[in-house]
Amino acid sequence: MPPELIHRTTTGEIARQREGHNRWRNFLLFLAVMGPGIITANVDNDAGGITTYSVAGAQFGTKLLWSLIPITLALIVVQEMGSRMGAVTGKGLSDLIREHYGVRVTFWILLAMLICNWGNTVAEFSGIASSLQIFGIPAQISVPICAVLVWLLVTRGNARWVEKIFLVACVFYIAYPISGFLAHPPWKEMLIATVVPQWENNRAFVSMLIGTVGTTIAPWMQFYLQSAVVEKGVSAETYALSRLDVIVGCIFTDVVAFFIIVSCAVTLNRSGIHIETAKDAALALAPLAGKYCSLLFSFGLFNASFFAASILPLSTAYTFCEGFGWEQGIGKPYKDAKQFHWLYTGMIVLGAGMVLIPKLPLIRIMVFTQVVNGILLPFILVFMLRLINDKKLMGRYRNGPWFNGIAWGTTIIMVALTVYLVVSGVQDLFA
Amino acid sequence: MLEELDNLTQSRFVFFSQLLGKTVQSADGQDLGRLVDLVAIPGDAYPPIESLIVRSWRRSRLRLLWTAVAGYDETRIQLLPSAVAEPVGDVTPPNRIRLADEILDRQIVDVQGAKLERVNDIHFLEVKGVLRLAHVDVGFRGLVRRMGWERALDGAVRGIAPRSSYLATGALLGWKHIHPLGEASGHMRVDLAQAQLAELHPADLAEIIEELDREQRITLFSRLDTETAAETLEEVSPEVSTQLLNDVTPEVAADILEEMAPEEAADVLSELPTETQSELLEAMEQPEAREVVELLQYDPRSAGGMMTPILVRFLDSYTAAEGLAEIRRRAEELSRIYEVFVVDAAGILRGHATLKDLLVAPLEQALKELMREVPGSVMVDASLREVADLAAKYRLLAVPVIEQSGELIGMITVDDILPAVLDAA
Repeated sequence: MPPELIHRTTTGEIARQREGHNRWRNFLLFLAVMGPGIITANVDNDAGGITTYSVAGAQFGTKLLWSLIPITLALIVVQEMGSRMGAVTGKGLSDLIREHYGVRVTFWILLAMLICNWGNTVAEFSGIASSLQIFGIPAQISVPICAVLVWLLVTRGNARWVEKIFLVACVFYIAYPISGFLAHPPWKEMLIATVVPQWENNRAFVSMLIGTVGTTIAPWMQFYLQSAVVEKGVSAETYALSRLDVIVGCIFTDVVAFFIIVSCAVTLNRSGIHIETAKDAALALAPLAGKYCSLLFSFGLFNASFFAASILPLSTAYTFCEGFGWEQGIGKPYKDAKQFHWLYTGMIVLGAGMVLIPKLPLIRIMVFTQVVNGILLPFILVFMLRLINDKKLMGRYRNGPWFNGIAWGTTIIMVALTVYLVVSGVQDLFA
Repeated sequence: MLEELDNLTQSRFVFFSQLLGKTVQSADGQDLGRLVDLVAIPGDAYPPIESLIVRSWRRSRLRLLWTAVAGYDETRIQLLPSAVAEPVGDVTPPNRIRLADEILDRQIVDVQGAKLERVNDIHFLEVKGVLRLAHVDVGFRGLVRRMGWERALDGAVRGIAPRSSYLATGALLGWKHIHPLGEASGHMRVDLAQAQLAELHPADLAEIIEELDREQRITLFSRLDTETAAETLEEVSPEVSTQLLNDVTPEVAADILEEMAPEEAADVLSELPTETQSELLEAMEQPEAREVVELLQYDPRSAGGMMTPILVRFLDSYTAAEGLAEIRRRAEELSRIYEVFVVDAAGILRGHATLKDLLVAPLEQALKELMREVPGSVMVDASLREVADLAAKYRLLAVPVIEQSGELIGMITVDDILPAVLDAA
């Protein structure tokens, strides 16, 4: 082979690797087809979210439905800022925090995020385990298989068809609205409960309310969404469409949440059935709303858990490596991107492994990560607000006075709620 | 010799992280504030530090010349009695670099390693009272040092694994081997930046550009000379190449497009909106523009869209000597010579010959006699699959592309087929 040809071949190979790498990032954030806002929303309704909404519906009936409207607004405000920052600066959030606040701050924030995301991954795998148990598959079989599948899908799969699989996963969220309809709720009553706030003055109710807020607005989403917007190559000029995408996504998240609460409220709550997990909910639905409603509910749980379990570890590895300046990308060979591959694989192994250890206090681990989540969120929100008001960074795309008022208001309420959550979480941990 | 020794004893290394945040104290023992930044004068291989930026306790920013520094220790930076502090704003003076603001924690291009790195720390060499920028630290140890854990972790590692690679000097990159990506202009002389970046292979440059954000991309891209820019543009993804062409002026874009291989230029142009496309084509020189326009009419995924019109096409009446002379004459235009195609007076493909055939043939032999039969050719609307199959079957380095009439209009070379096939897989 003439030397020139050899040279060209290696160049082609480099080009191919790069293409593969980029395609993977594109897939991770799905952007071209679905839009970052909608994807983030879908991953947001993960195992933890579904559990919280189910328990909220079973325990308090329709009394918490009204909270979905303010939650949606808060979610839109926060997500919109993240996606605007991504569009204007072209940088991810961990990147911006590193460049503006230095290594120490970045380290602690990313460490906290690593813990949260690990906890969330544990939750996803336990969601996989419990949903498949309903179909008669024991956790000892389903969890290792799904962990290997997730790992193979992302590291060895062909980006194009994996992308299609995940798009289909997005569509499957429709399982919840359908199971909502199968439960035959009195619609008028439901709509009234959605717009008229109700209150119970006891600790259980307040905790549930905060839990609902906390599961909807999570720190990792801000990193994920902003990187997704950057990856899509959205610019300040084309930002208007992205804003729409964020709004639609946020509304979609809470529409799914609405149907989960409704299905549990009109069946479990009316019959006075007490549940603690999404699996309990699915099982209890069968005699009350029919077998199909129950199966759809469990299928939805599996779909959401598997989907989130595929994206969370990948997103974590990207965010972490971005902040520390390590090479990132599934397409990068192991020797160039050691940290990335270790983080990614470690998240899956430790996430799935936890579920398999017998007698491990899973609930306590969840509460602990919820607490870390709660501690992290105020910092993230304050950093976001400071960055988005940085004149040098954002120029004329800074927050206006009105928007700033709303954003700071949202942040303060979120901080107050999470302080309460952290305090009661710590109490639970030591109780 | 003695002076050199003297220099050595007077020189020492210091890290930026060991200076940042230190209290700056005037000669009479008064605290002025904390060190928040250092300003360097670029241009040198080891740029000297000109001044310090101090944030006073009342949060105003002061500037002091480094020559006014008497010395520093673990806790403070001591100034000379002659030191004068003047208030400064938050802008970089022209032709200066603010290190904390523009280098530390930012991304830079490691020119030797051909990759993007993040700066964890900056390494200075102090010689005879002048602080000079020597290296940037992009390694793990730099991160640890910034966290303030170097001593503890070093001790621990020494205790457990004294021969660990962690304890070696670590990842220091010489300042002259890195390329900063700050937006502020005037950091570097244009010709120096161009020469430095031209050392990178276009494929590596393309990879780096893909990983950058929009602003950094255009900063880096506009520092490339036209030839390197053209080669780089051929390697980046379509989204990035359209963005880059949109962000430079039409004149610059046209120059770059002229420099590119016509089929690559056509690929890039086909991604642009029609309006921009015709604007750029008008700005281009005539012969190059015409070639590109012709290619633009084909579907980019068909043989017509993939082919290059630049090839060696000889009349069958040529002799070997005439052919070789023609190749010499067109040396500039032909980047590499795969094969020589032989056509008749009507332009119909009749045969082909390798460069070797031409070289070893008697000079006066006509191509008609020395040419071989073409094992295969594709129509202009053939699919990638057909092209690749043909190239694989007959082991062709270049597949000729013909019109319905049999007229030879271009060729597709294997180095264009391979990436396209991998991409479609």
